[in-house]
Amino acid sequence: MPADRPLFIPVILGTARQGRMSAHAARLMVQETGKQAAVQTELIDIATLPVGTGESWEAIRNTGFADKMDRADALILVTPEYNHGYPGLLKHILDSCLKEYIHKPVGIVAVSAGPFGGTRAIQNLLPVMRELGLVTIFWDVNFSHVQNFFDDAGNLKDESFRRPIGKFLKELIWMARTLRYGRENISLE
Amino acid sequence: MPAKSDPMICSQCGVEMNLHAEKLVEPTNAQEAARLDLALGGLIEEIYTCPECGKAHSRPLS
Repeated sequence: MPADRPLFIPVILGTARQGRMSAHAARLMVQETGKQAAVQTELIDIATLPVGTGESWEAIRNTGFADKMDRADALILVTPEYNHGYPGLLKHILDSCLKEYIHKPVGIVAVSAGPFGGTRAIQNLLPVMRELGLVTIFWDVNFSHVQNFFDDAGNLKDESFRRPIGKFLKELIWMARTLRYGRENISLE
Repeated sequence: MPAKSDPMICSQCGVEMNLHAEKLVEPTNAQEAARLDLALGGLIEEIYTCPECGKAHSRPLS
């Protein structure tokens, strides 16, 4: 494995609703991820992806999204909690790939207007992550009462919240390095 | 690692790719359903990654 190849860890903003507060959380995650050494990141906003429909798996596949998932060494999913679940559009987009995810770590950032920080959306996502071949980390980032976290311009109001994000990223990056080595060097046979 | 008789070669780098997973997948059409492994309840897809560029490829288990 070329040692100088940086990790690519995109942040997926998992809602297309107008006025979504999750966008602030996703931009913060891009900002914090971009500060990490030897890590590249970018925001993937599912609202900007064409939504394919049709009978076949190929019909819903978006080449641009699939290429980014292929290049990714880890994923950060930012999801709101809607009616105790995650957005259906996020599932639709995630289901458009498979081989691109296998043995890659994923960290989940959940957002809610209420007190539980999107924990129910995370719990519902975990079995889906497992079936997609992604490897979940044990740190989450939870934005409870998200309306209190950011100012009107989307800036984080409480700087101490960068600390749990730092813990989350440390674990995700360790997993990304380890699993990349495994994917590229350790044979199943 | 035992050499595979039909190694997967990276289309970008030309090197042998690493087989690191066998993923059970559900059939999505009639042709795939006809190949269903009843004992496993699905189809096996081999997952490979290129040690040079990191690109993933897959193919049905032969």
